[in-house]
Amino acid sequence: PGSMAAAGSVKAALQVAEVLETIVSCCVGPEGRQVLCTKPTGEVLLSRDGGRLLEALHLEHPIARMIVACVSSHLKKTGDGAKTFIIFLCHLLRGLHAITDREKDSLICENIQTHGRHWKNCCQWKFISQSLLMFQTQILDCIMDQYLSRHFLSIFSSAKERTLSRSSLELLLEAYFCGRVGRNNQKFISQLMCDYFFKCMTCESGIDVFELVDDCFVELSVGVTGLPVSDSRIVAGLVLHRDFSVYCPADGDIRIVMVTETIQPLFSTSGSEFILNSEAQFQTSQYWIMERTKAIMKHLHSQNVKLLLSSVKQPDLVIYYAGLNGISVVECLSSEEVTLIQRIIGLSPFVLPQASSQCEISNTALVKFCKPLILRSKRYVHLSLASTCAFIPHCIVLCGPVQGLIEQHEGALHGAFKMLRQLFKDLDLNYMTEANDQKDTSSPLISKNSRESNQLPEIGNGSLQNPCQDTAVKNKDKLEKTQTYLKVNSNLVVSNAELETYIPCSTAKLTPTGTFQTDETLRCLSLGKNIIIDNCEPLIESNSAVHSTTENTRIEISYENLPVTKIAGKGTMLPVRCKLLDMRTSQSYYSSSMPAGCVLPVGGNFEILLHYYLLNYAKKCQQSEETMVSMIVANALLGIPKILYKSKKGNYSFPQVYIRALHALQTNQLLVSSKTGLESVAGKYQLLTSVLQCLTKILTIDLVINVKRQPQKVYDQDSEDEL
Amino acid sequence: MSRLEAKKPSLCKSEPLTSEKVRATLSVWKGIVSSCYGPSGRLKQLHNGFGGYVCTTSQSSALLSNLSVTHPILKILTTSLQNHVSCFSDCGLFTAILCCNLIENVQRIGLTPTTVIKLNKHLLRLCTNYLKSEACGCRLPVDFSSTQILLCLVRSILTSKPASMLTRKEIDHVSALILKAFLLTIPENAEDHVILGKSIIVPLKGQRVIDSTVLPGILIEMSEVQLMKLLPIKKSGALKVALFCTSLSGDLSDTGEGTVVVSCGVSLENAVLDQLLNLGRQLISDHVDLVLCQKVIHPSLKQLLSMHRVIAVDRIGVALMEPLSKVTGTQPIGSLGSISPGSYGSVKDWCAAKFGSKHFFHLIPNEATICSLLLCNRNDTAWDELKLTCQTALHVLQLTIKEPWVLLGGGCTETHLAAYIRHKIHNEPESILKDDGCTQTELHLIAEAFCSALASLAASLEHDGGEILTDMKYGHFWSVQADSPSVNWPDLLSQCGCGLHNSQEELSWSFLRSTCQPFTPQACLLREAVGSGSNLTVDCFTAKLSGLEVAVETASLILDLSYVIEDKN
Repeated sequence: PGSMAAAGSVKAALQVAEVLETIVSCCVGPEGRQVLCTKPTGEVLLSRDGGRLLEALHLEHPIARMIVACVSSHLKKTGDGAKTFIIFLCHLLRGLHAITDREKDSLICENIQTHGRHWKNCCQWKFISQSLLMFQTQILDCIMDQYLSRHFLSIFSSAKERTLSRSSLELLLEAYFCGRVGRNNQKFISQLMCDYFFKCMTCESGIDVFELVDDCFVELSVGVTGLPVSDSRIVAGLVLHRDFSVYCPADGDIRIVMVTETIQPLFSTSGSEFILNSEAQFQTSQYWIMERTKAIMKHLHSQNVKLLLSSVKQPDLVIYYAGLNGISVVECLSSEEVTLIQRIIGLSPFVLPQASSQCEISNTALVKFCKPLILRSKRYVHLSLASTCAFIPHCIVLCGPVQGLIEQHEGALHGAFKMLRQLFKDLDLNYMTEANDQKDTSSPLISKNSRESNQLPEIGNGSLQNPCQDTAVKNKDKLEKTQTYLKVNSNLVVSNAELETYIPCSTAKLTPTGTFQTDETLRCLSLGKNIIIDNCEPLIESNSAVHSTTENTRIEISYENLPVTKIAGKGTMLPVRCKLLDMRTSQSYYSSSMPAGCVLPVGGNFEILLHYYLLNYAKKCQQSEETMVSMIVANALLGIPKILYKSKKGNYSFPQVYIRALHALQTNQLLVSSKTGLESVAGKYQLLTSVLQCLTKILTIDLVINVKRQPQKVYDQDSEDEL
Repeated sequence: MSRLEAKKPSLCKSEPLTSEKVRATLSVWKGIVSSCYGPSGRLKQLHNGFGGYVCTTSQSSALLSNLSVTHPILKILTTSLQNHVSCFSDCGLFTAILCCNLIENVQRIGLTPTTVIKLNKHLLRLCTNYLKSEACGCRLPVDFSSTQILLCLVRSILTSKPASMLTRKEIDHVSALILKAFLLTIPENAEDHVILGKSIIVPLKGQRVIDSTVLPGILIEMSEVQLMKLLPIKKSGALKVALFCTSLSGDLSDTGEGTVVVSCGVSLENAVLDQLLNLGRQLISDHVDLVLCQKVIHPSLKQLLSMHRVIAVDRIGVALMEPLSKVTGTQPIGSLGSISPGSYGSVKDWCAAKFGSKHFFHLIPNEATICSLLLCNRNDTAWDELKLTCQTALHVLQLTIKEPWVLLGGGCTETHLAAYIRHKIHNEPESILKDDGCTQTELHLIAEAFCSALASLAASLEHDGGEILTDMKYGHFWSVQADSPSVNWPDLLSQCGCGLHNSQEELSWSFLRSTCQPFTPQACLLREAVGSGSNLTVDCFTAKLSGLEVAVETASLILDLSYVIEDKN
């Protein structure tokens, strides 16, 4: 049933990627333009969203389809970066292609059969893909953690409470919307989002609010066509996408109940049988149904319920009695709307009493008002819910001349919340380094944890308010709590468990002195003072290096504390564990995390920095394939800033910017960005790993088999077992 | 079972606007809309080769809904216009022509889309700020104590739709009717929150336009026989009304998801009918005089009711339910059981009415904001056009209540606005240039394109080859008949487009198409406006302002396109 199609070679993939690149690169960055997509239904859609475009193309080529699948799984996670994904992938493929071309020239003289050569090529790809995977899982994290992290800024104005100032959020969002919406609306949409963010947030709101908004964004926005975009606004409360079935105006606080079934009892429920023996019986039962409905509605009225939300359509009778009892009714709520209301006010559906109608209704909530909202002659239900969670409900009314534009804005706003959701999470970095290479392993993280090195900046530069010192102080606070913290925090269960296994040697010391002593105690534990001394010397060195760089960046970020407290909390224990492992293997595993809220200025800063450090790393590397992969990735990274600066001339052209950046890095100076705006580091990092994974996938495929048969339905193995 | 089918790949085109075919399509489309514009606009006959009736129109709403376009760019343009029209009813052609003009003019300049979009946005803001400001020279406040301006507004709308085929006298008659119908929808004792009622348009085709009329209350069409049957049971004075939204036909209601087993010999129909007759007896004992039902009433119930001199009218339809409930003050009844006395309402009276060949059951309310506008016109197509026009006028009046201003019509707002922008850009370009990094030349080019788009929009009002002029004081619109012998302007010209100024004022003119020295356009004086009687041409402020914004936004959107991906599935 199958036939051999194209061999999965880099060349084919490159061709595909290049075509995609030309399409997406017109939409990248602040200068990007719009693409008009038509649907088979005749609708038109405007988009600058890479994911949407790739989907709309309905690509046939197998490799293209795989790339699109990779992009969409990446988007599901992060909501950003589809275009950059394609550009980066294309540059990587180009780099690989160039290298293999060169190698092939030397190989070509060997006289082998073409078929054999194909398989041989495949082996070579497999080899490269393995080293790519190695790079992604080990080298990348290491570089991020050890070198790049010193350049990170934090979006939070206070790291401890994770508070976000309006100005920094604006910088972040403006940069985000630059790539997402039409030029004339970028500023407006970003302001709208900012307003929305601060209106919905209470001081204690955290990541759960982003999750709520991300999950329920469709319910939280209303699209209105035919009005100019500038009429978009935020309304307090919740707007349901339907009209009242009955509306009875009411003042003051309004009690509401929610039902998920019809209030009027029916003759028979599903699976049961109702036997009618006489006409009188029919009439009595009808009478009973009527009386019961009436009684329930009366009861609701007596309980002061003024609004009934129903997820199903209610019969005429219920609507009639609701109207008589002054109860407004909203029917046919979607399950998403029901969930949203439940999440906001914690209202669970009211279960109808089986026997009597005189029950206490416990599941009610209060709303401040409920009234019709008319947007462009369409009526909506407008509720002001008194929130019981950290989210203060607000809705975004999005206006635009055409539906396609509204959808674009909706998608962009939704994506922005996805991005923020990611940004508010810590990102774990795990990597492994050779133990004998102590100079490299002594990351800033370790230095932060050792008491001696922490004191160094204090002594040397007592008055200097730099992040390092900050950490030292916070570190102390944290450490005092660590004992309890460790037990409570589930994040640290692993390290905790591991600690316990090693603790027996030093329990006596550990328990009385408290956790601030853990550093010392564990060092005792790590058998032999010579190691400690070995460790400490490079630590001091590295710390002074860190110190100097932080001093430089301080000018720019003086008001933004580097949020290293989180690292400190986790980091204290983890590097210690590494040293324990040291004893057995000759390698050490590091696991640290990038704190939430790490950002870098836009305009290719991340790419240039990573490029620089990767090149440095490649120089030091001994293994040739590691060097090669690092070089390829480093060079491919530059593709993105190249496109961003394409239209710039003179001093702001790409080569100029690049040279300036390299110079600044070599002399430990501050990187100056010509553009304002910030972007999430976690997003960039995830993009990088997704692209590398995609590339690995492409390289490991040696043959594409074209199956000419209807796709088979895939049965879920588990569900079948259950049956 | 669902069929899985492989999707065809999409078609992807780059830089769609540069294609000659797209340009040609756009210009044809622009030709269609601009030839319809204004009182002397040419009519379009739309007919479908597969059947259906022929539509003769010059209105954007009819034109857009009947014209099917295939090119994605035109699709986005027409959807945008349709959305505007469904929001504001008016100024569809204005928006369409302006949008096409902007796209065309900008393409001619050949600047990058980035610059164009940025500057167009600034120019738009300049316009909207000016139109909303007190200093605006082409805006008149609406005085609700007199009907003069409102009547001018309605008349301007009727005049600008030539396909409704009205004479001068008929226009006056219909405008007065529309205004009257609108005023009837305003509640008498209005508090801070006014809820407008509704004017229901009742069709009467084949009659003279002069026979059109407005009646308070609701007209329900009925056959003559039916109406004659009701006449003998007519009572005088107020009537007690019951309005049912549930069916009274005796059908079984929803019995649930399970099964209902009926034993042999049990007739549910009889059981339900018993129930219905009980309901009828309750209605009679409650002294209800009039029973209205949205759906069908069972003949036996009807019989019972008429025997007790209760009028029963069924098959009202869902559209009339809300007005009926408002007029009678009833709560629509959804129950076949006991009826709460609170859900009955009342009307002042009812009467039988005959208009043309149609018979109506006319409900006369005590006091309500619902009225019926009986609209007559000679033939179907002209009636359809007139109906759309009336709806537009009623909607525009509602919008005018919210924002009590009107803009000068007849092209004067456009030329005045163009003059204002030219003047502003010439004298204070810094305000725009300072934050955008554009050069002065770019700004001048774009501003000129914008102004000439406005000017040629005004010029589209002239379809007979006449010459368009603008005066150098107010910046208004003047047109001269083609092939005029004399060159003495004051003799040739009589009035400006909106009718506010006449040529005997000491004015100087220049051709609209020629670029002239920028000047400060002066504001018209309110006193003059009121003094000039009832011959002003004015436009809806809200609709035009939004049309302007939508036109610029849509043009920007289209200019920004770099690819078109067409899904061929």
